Amino acid sequence: MKGKLEPSERQKLIEEGKNLKEGLLTLEEDLLKLTDELQQEAQCIPNMTHPDVPIGDEDSSTIRKKVGSPHDFSFPIKDHLQLGKELNLFDFDAAAKVSGSKFYYLKNEAVMLEMALTNWTVFEVIKRGFTPLTTPEIVRSSVVEKCGFQPRGENTQVYSIEGSDHCLIGTAEIPVGGIHMDSILANSQLPLKYVASSHCFRTEAGAAGTATRGLYRVHQFSKVEMFVLCQPEESDSYHEELIRIEEELFTSLGLHFKILDMATADLGAPAYRKFDVEAWMPGLGRYGEISSASNCTDYQSRRLGIRYRPSEPPSSTPKKGKGNIPTQFVHTLNATACAIPRMIVCILENYQQEDGSIVIPKPLRPFMGGLERITPKSQ
Amino acid sequence: MRRGCCFGGTTLHTLKLATLPSLSPSSRFVLNPITPVFRSPRAPLRFSPIGRALSSAPAVQPAAPSSSKVATKTISDDQLAKPQWNASIDFKWIRDNKDAVATNIKNRNSNADLELVLELYTKMLEIQKEVERLRGERNVVANKMKGKLEPSERQKLIEEGKNLKEGLLTLEEDLLKLTDELQQEAQCIPNMTHPDVPIGDEDSSTIRKKVGSPHDFSFPIKDHLQLGKELNLFDFDAAAKVSGSKFYYLKNEAVMLEMALTNWTVFEVIKRGFTPLTTPEIVRSSVVEKCGFQPRGENTQVYSIEGSDHCLIGTAEIPVGGIHMDSILANSQLPLKYVASSHCFRTEAGAAGTATRGLYRVHQFSKVEMFVLCQPEESDSYHEELIRIEEELFTSLGLHFKILDMATADLGAPAYRKFDVEAWMPGLGRYGEISSASNCTDYQSRRLGIRYRPSEPPSSTPKKGKGNIPTQFVHTLNATACAIPRMIVCILENYQQEDGSIVIPKPLRPFMGGLERITPKSQ
Repeated sequence: MKGKLEPSERQKLIEEGKNLKEGLLTLEEDLLKLTDELQQEAQCIPNMTHPDVPIGDEDSSTIRKKVGSPHDFSFPIKDHLQLGKELNLFDFDAAAKVSGSKFYYLKNEAVMLEMALTNWTVFEVIKRGFTPLTTPEIVRSSVVEKCGFQPRGENTQVYSIEGSDHCLIGTAEIPVGGIHMDSILANSQLPLKYVASSHCFRTEAGAAGTATRGLYRVHQFSKVEMFVLCQPEESDSYHEELIRIEEELFTSLGLHFKILDMATADLGAPAYRKFDVEAWMPGLGRYGEISSASNCTDYQSRRLGIRYRPSEPPSSTPKKGKGNIPTQFVHTLNATACAIPRMIVCILENYQQEDGSIVIPKPLRPFMGGLERITPKSQ
Repeated sequence: MRRGCCFGGTTLHTLKLATLPSLSPSSRFVLNPITPVFRSPRAPLRFSPIGRALSSAPAVQPAAPSSSKVATKTISDDQLAKPQWNASIDFKWIRDNKDAVATNIKNRNSNADLELVLELYTKMLEIQKEVERLRGERNVVANKMKGKLEPSERQKLIEEGKNLKEGLLTLEEDLLKLTDELQQEAQCIPNMTHPDVPIGDEDSSTIRKKVGSPHDFSFPIKDHLQLGKELNLFDFDAAAKVSGSKFYYLKNEAVMLEMALTNWTVFEVIKRGFTPLTTPEIVRSSVVEKCGFQPRGENTQVYSIEGSDHCLIGTAEIPVGGIHMDSILANSQLPLKYVASSHCFRTEAGAAGTATRGLYRVHQFSKVEMFVLCQPEESDSYHEELIRIEEELFTSLGLHFKILDMATADLGAPAYRKFDVEAWMPGLGRYGEISSASNCTDYQSRRLGIRYRPSEPPSSTPKKGKGNIPTQFVHTLNATACAIPRMIVCILENYQQEDGSIVIPKPLRPFMGGLERITPKSQ
């Protein structure tokens, strides 16, 4: 239409242009709707799975390693609830009045145990090259979703804040994952290794049954979490590193535990591979999960928009500009360094003595003012 | 450049964890055990003063500067939901002391309506009297009906009984409505005030004590935000993306500083005979109200959980106050002294202006709080003890600060008396509140229903039963032992060195693996 035209020709073109424009608008609307629907459906597709992961449900999970063995007690043992009651370490009743079930106060030595576990764990992981963090515990719900959780689902694990688009975190994985949202990292920045101490809040909707007594399943707890961002080709090896760190930590505390390679039906959408640690809880009479280490490959990073620019291969021409190497998505991993309530269950139940006292694992003593044992008040 | 922690001479990887100072044997957890609470049938509600005068949300965390003083009563009576719990208010006492109560209300800039309260109370008494009279008559009729009667007499009595019943029903409904209205109005009445408290607004607060003096710097100083940036200690930008403004990540040595401050403070207070606690941070909103806060007010400081009747705590004072809710404690259990470490969440709605930069005003922070329940005659002296402990803690950390006796308009409804501590923050160029110690006398306990049974005087006859001594309300007190972000501001700004490093106060070093200074990464 830019050139010289006869009026009738011009008119024809104008009509044609108008039709094209309308046609386009309709199509673009359709495209938008379709894209949204595609996103919605496609986001349901879980991450791919590591070839070594056993296929099946929970019973198909395999044991990678066992450390230690159940301690043989020469006297009748108690569970952590009874021990806690006798040693005046928790109060579930007052918490039920003030907040509801599955809430608790820690008291006396249990407070120091929580502080010791947190501090010792953070220090140990710092020594292994991780950057310590504390994080917001109120976050935008979009960040929760991008990490692979569902804040609005039925039976959601996530608490929402009234009158806002915010939620409480169920794990520090979420706010740490969010740090580098929508960023392009330099190759030299990777790997980024964080250790975050936070409180975690979970509705535990849908969780019922016997495994909910006492500290085993609660709405609020402290946790020390490890989080790694790395190049894709390195994630398998960082997964190994994370589970090794966990193994070292739990061994130092003298726990008996097994490391499981979780089967496909038990993975959860973001995880490419997941190792769970289950520790022996004599009072419970079985193994209980104390930790989980997941390799989420690029599942979270594609949602959080975390990319990096791989470095140039040595053979490239010096003239190549920075923008020529396409960015790639990082891989993310997360692993529990210490989930405090379950660790307290383990320590109380495994280290109980016949006289009702609890021996404190050696590594924690310097963090408890040198305290070696929790003794009943009458002594 | 590889990111990581570099702790001066002691690198991360060779962190030698110094043994923490051992607690003295006397404090080795031979703490006052929390013996099972003596539960007895609830004594009939005797009306004792409780004002839910939640006019100004008590500023436990450092209050906003005067420009953003919290407005008094922001909810109209109509909007206030009917109280779902009753406060044990002593209306008779209010009536008998109405001049003092009126003066107090005026001094505190409260808009409680005393006249209305007294009016409603008088009316209520009248109706109660009438109700009792009618009940009496109804009993007479009922008794008469037991005997032999002529049918016509019986019929008359039946009618009379019916009328009385209806009349009673109406009166009892009125009484209920009146009682609710009376509660609503009376709960607005603030606590009475200690006679030594200066009358007036913030400027009338007096200085009880000054400790230290502002350090003279021989070089241009930086504020905590700049120091934090240069030393890679915080991230506000990432937190703004993930959560919003006034949120933050602590990083590297700041994390260890938070852990050290928390642990050291808890240990120090344990040594002084307090029982350590961690608490729920999600609580029922009724508990929040009973402590004197307003979860549902406009400009509320309180976050609520969607789809529930729960809120996030703004201070551990709330869940600790709730522990002994609706209980009768034995005299021997008192005093109960708790030190609670928790996270705190505050909307900071209505807080604006310059004093909101960085860590000074945030939505989420860690705090160590002291809470005491005691006999009424002891609360003044425990108030002194709490402020003394605070003074010792802050002096140990080498801070320069002043202790203020807060004036009436700045008290907040629950506090009978409040001491604030303001520390010198050189980067801010002024004093900033780091702590608050309040004596709430029986304001909270009358709402939370925390009573105790005084012991029998020695002269009483041994035959006297346990139930003869009437219960009384305990007094409660609360005081900030350590509000972590403001403490971090103080330490960074006061201990900064010319080379950009920060010296760590000596008491905290054993809790930081012996670290003596936070140094810039290039060194």
